[in-house]
Amino acid sequence: MLRRAEFWGGLFWLGVGVFVTWQGWLLELGTLHEPGSGFVFFWLGLFMSALSLSITVAGARGEGPLLADLWRGARWRNVVMVIAALIVFGVLFQKLGFVLCSLALLLFLMTFVDPVAPRLSIPISLAASVGVWYVLEKVLLVQLPKGSWLEDVPYLSWLAG
Amino acid sequence: MDVISGLAQGFAVAFDPVNLLYCFIGVFIGTLVGVLPGIGPISAMSLLLPVTLSGSPESGIIMMAGIYYGSMYGGSTTAVLVNIPGEAASVVTCIDGHEMAKRGRAGPALGISALGSFVAGTFAIVALMLVAPMLAQVAVAFGPPEYFSLMVLGLTILSFLTQGSMAKALLMAAVGVVVGLIGLDQINAMPRLTFDRLELVDGIGLVPVVMGLFGVAEILANIEQQIRRDIVQSRIGSLWPSREDLKASAGPVGRGTLLGFLLGVLPGGGAVIASFASYAMEKKLSRTPERFGKGAIEGVAGPEAANNAAAGGAFIPLMTLGIPPNVIMALLLGAFVIHGLQPGPLMMSQNPKVFWGIVASMYVGNIMLLVLNMPLIGMWVQVLKAPYRILFPLILMFCIVGVFASGNAVFDVFVMIGTGLLGYLMRKFGYEAAPLVLAFVLGPMLENNLRKSLILSQGSFEIFVVRPISIACLAIAVFLLIAPLLPALRKKREKVALDVTE
Repeated sequence: MLRRAEFWGGLFWLGVGVFVTWQGWLLELGTLHEPGSGFVFFWLGLFMSALSLSITVAGARGEGPLLADLWRGARWRNVVMVIAALIVFGVLFQKLGFVLCSLALLLFLMTFVDPVAPRLSIPISLAASVGVWYVLEKVLLVQLPKGSWLEDVPYLSWLAG
Repeated sequence: MDVISGLAQGFAVAFDPVNLLYCFIGVFIGTLVGVLPGIGPISAMSLLLPVTLSGSPESGIIMMAGIYYGSMYGGSTTAVLVNIPGEAASVVTCIDGHEMAKRGRAGPALGISALGSFVAGTFAIVALMLVAPMLAQVAVAFGPPEYFSLMVLGLTILSFLTQGSMAKALLMAAVGVVVGLIGLDQINAMPRLTFDRLELVDGIGLVPVVMGLFGVAEILANIEQQIRRDIVQSRIGSLWPSREDLKASAGPVGRGTLLGFLLGVLPGGGAVIASFASYAMEKKLSRTPERFGKGAIEGVAGPEAANNAAAGGAFIPLMTLGIPPNVIMALLLGAFVIHGLQPGPLMMSQNPKVFWGIVASMYVGNIMLLVLNMPLIGMWVQVLKAPYRILFPLILMFCIVGVFASGNAVFDVFVMIGTGLLGYLMRKFGYEAAPLVLAFVLGPMLENNLRKSLILSQGSFEIFVVRPISIACLAIAVFLLIAPLLPALRKKREKVALDVTE
């Protein structure tokens, strides 16, 4: 039972369903004459709970693939690295600005996730990050983060505008 | 305004040099994303949604529509030459199209898919032009109960037609409605599920959700596998099909066009389902079904026509009822709303320039696509040779830029990362993203119409049963919900799902 993907998937959504039902209850159900803000949440939460319970029960009965089978032979480390890189990107985006962040992201992905020769990865990363910055900032006039940390750094302050 | 004068006004809009340029950019990008595996029309349209803000509404929407039908054309190139569908609607084209290519007939396979797509696309535009005004007149009579029931029907059809478990698809639709309702209550302005975060008061944006569930999740799913591409190395040869090829393809193109158009109009239907249905129909009608899977040109012509006709047909419910029948139309609805337009029965009378401009631009776009696809096949083949290890970091960067530009908020980037991880896990655990996104868009309308109906009827659910359109929609929805429980129908649904997987 504990090794089945269906069981864990169903359990996760059951938790979400119960949470939505509870939130709907807190938001006020209103009456049928005048449904309140939580009316749809409450009933949808119950609907979700019922569906996910049926999936959980099916998993508990041994239906569906094993959890381990979902990642058998997969290069899951790549997925973890990309997610981690994106989170770091999100955290540093405002502080380092678009150009440095995207350059670092591209170089990281092309060096560690699915390696590309440096003679390709470096010029492509440079051209892409500076090129996209130029098109968005100068041509389309889209405001991108300039990097609050760069404002006082010599030679890099041009990036911060 | 009659059809002829409307169309004349539409062509005046479509032939405006700026709109011609937008149309060209749209079909070009559409073909490009159709050709490239790993990025589809959904990601491309969400990416470019903010860019459309700089132009007029008709220019932006002409470009977005061009991306959609352009990708239908482009997807076939990858399917034939690499055996990888450039986008989901071209999965079926891989079967016989790639077989034809391996036997040295890549040219006719690409040629017939471009010609079939052109014929079907043109038919769909003519039908859109004729059917939409009639349907818009009927739609004026729609009230909250009809809208609510129609949306329930759309979500049920989509859940019914998804590949795997219907319970999972319905669950995803429910999740989509919940996520779509986050933010201020439309009726009494009460914040809901905002957790005191200012960023959530206006709700979660469509672009980060779509980019996460489709763009980032697709990349995560691809990078955990070793992608191998067998590009056909032999000469592609003449693209013009022989007289025998044209004779064999005429029937499948005609049938695929009609079937695709009807399935495209249906809420919850779309290009993917249309192409599979057309392939199954051609195989059943053929006197030599054993040729299918071994390079039968009918197996390319029918589905390619069907997916293009469906792409055109899908505009009808959006333009006349304001209800998007699939995820791509949901994005287009987002584009209309961003520009302050509300598609629906009054669109033709209130914004004739936009409606007829889009219709006319589709004629122009179809011709552009034929011109793009026939002589530029060689260029698309070169694009296909770009390794995925270089493409995916760039696509990821464009996703981030697109999401940030849509709302100018880093919070949206985190929403994209979160929904990307969720989308990847959903794929792993067999949950589909399409019902979630469609329900996300329909959620606020669904709730609004349900609550309005109940207020109108003073709390009685009878209002949904006494109105003919409403009861008809709900009856079909209920039938589809109980259908998987009936053994004969369950077998049929599982067979469709199996065909899709194969």
